[in-house]
Amino acid sequence: MKFTLRPARDHGLDTGDRLRSLSRERGLGSIMLGNAWRALVRVYLATWHRLEVTGRENLPEPPFVLIANHTSHLDALTLSGVLRGQAARHAHALAAGDTFFGSTLSSVFAAYAVNALPVWRKRTRAGELATLRERLVEDRLAYILFPEGTRARDGVMGRFQPGIGVMVAGTAVPVVPSYLDGAHAAWPPHRGFPAPGKLRLAIGAPLVFTEAPATRAGWEDVAARCEAAVRRLAPGQRSP
Amino acid sequence: MIRYPALEHPVTIGIIGATVAALLVAFAIIGAMQLTNRGTPALRRELWLRTGSWCLLLPLMMGPVLLGREWVIGAVTLLGLACLREFDRATGLFREPLVTAIVVLGILAANFAALDHWYGFFVALWPLTVGVIVIGTIPRDRPEGYIQRTALGIFAYMLFGAGLAHLSYMANEPNYRPILLMLLATVALSDVAAFTVGKLIGGPKLLPATSPNKSISGALGALTVTTIIVAALSAVIFRGTPMAQPHWLIAFGLIVGIGAQAGDLMLSSIKRDIGIKDMGTILPGHGGVLDRFNSLLLVAPASFHFIGYFVGFGLDQPTRLITGGP
Repeated sequence: MKFTLRPARDHGLDTGDRLRSLSRERGLGSIMLGNAWRALVRVYLATWHRLEVTGRENLPEPPFVLIANHTSHLDALTLSGVLRGQAARHAHALAAGDTFFGSTLSSVFAAYAVNALPVWRKRTRAGELATLRERLVEDRLAYILFPEGTRARDGVMGRFQPGIGVMVAGTAVPVVPSYLDGAHAAWPPHRGFPAPGKLRLAIGAPLVFTEAPATRAGWEDVAARCEAAVRRLAPGQRSP
Repeated sequence: MIRYPALEHPVTIGIIGATVAALLVAFAIIGAMQLTNRGTPALRRELWLRTGSWCLLLPLMMGPVLLGREWVIGAVTLLGLACLREFDRATGLFREPLVTAIVVLGILAANFAALDHWYGFFVALWPLTVGVIVIGTIPRDRPEGYIQRTALGIFAYMLFGAGLAHLSYMANEPNYRPILLMLLATVALSDVAAFTVGKLIGGPKLLPATSPNKSISGALGALTVTTIIVAALSAVIFRGTPMAQPHWLIAFGLIVGIGAQAGDLMLSSIKRDIGIKDMGTILPGHGGVLDRFNSLLLVAPASFHFIGYFVGFGLDQPTRLITGGP
């Protein structure tokens, strides 16, 4: 990547604002903390949940958006845990602001360990989505995103929101569908701690929406196609 | 290694007393300005912020010097790392984590050499670290941006590793406290004098494109004040040594005075080139750590080698305290 003499996008922000900023760029300390955290997560997923991953070869070099069904806090942990190298260093989980960025302590953890960016439910402004889209392309990031918008309380996958369309329509950034099976059984939203249980992650072939129009209909079409691609990866839906 | 009591030297006591007195006077003046409604609210607010920050900064700067050698080296290491962080985030070097990591290791190694009191390693680290920075990213086979990332890495190591670590090495001299306190106090005083004289006299700008707020009168006033104070304090500190001759003392004062302002202008040039006002936000009224400590960056090595030429640092003290060896 060409070197440009350009300050961090979050330059000049106070520490608290920086943690919650969509412009936050990670440096050496954050990368080292993130690596240590992911190593712990991988050990945990391998031992406690005997994680099995198929289709890892479908993950491209960044930029890309990795999407999945959402039933548990284990989802983001698992998706960030399977990324390697450049993709892992450039990965941001888009996390619910009210859950993960409510207090300073949780913000520090979400920002430095998980490298999450906050998305504020029901009050995400168009400018924030534009910032996310701009950074995805320019900074060659990898977003981990759950287009349902919230965890499915009953474990049944819901409709995808059009936000994923806003993010990628008209760009060459691939969307990688995946389906995580077993997370709801191991750690459903109503339980405080995860129980041991097998997790299976299936990663599908990337989708590209270069021709998708930047209109409401276009965004909804992108969301529908992403949803269909994720559903096809669910157990019992996959072709042999 | 010989250790003297913290307040053994009269210059140490004098500088600490004068610093406390200066802060009290500053608060009194700003308080009087507030009561009599002198100056603009913006100026008064800036003065309150700056003086308040000094109340936090001065104990952090002077405390380690009083506590002992290892505290000084620890504090300088942290200062170097903090400066590097601001520098790499301002210039974009942080997007090259491998180069940043090598510079971090270089800063740690330079301060370790000072802690070990191993001058040979301390000196060797300059070309060695540069060599590692130069070679470090070649195996990635990504020549695009090589010159920029390598040059910025070397620049950062020179300033925050090799340069600042001279302050750490000075602590190997049993009588380091008055020397370090003099440097810390006078470079800070240089900034204050330039600001005050510039406001009082005004006149033509020094380098308007680089730093629009600095005037020639402020620069000359600061240089005069710094030179006189450094020469006077050095006459007491280095009494009985070959350095204690008027022309050398004045030369030393000029080196500190010019080094302090050159460091300030160097950081201004960096900021102007990038297009930012401050390097950080951690110190209200000052900006970032680098905005406050820029004057020390060039003064540290310059004063170390000037004093080293005449007197030396810890020459009669045991060496290689940790690594052993000859």
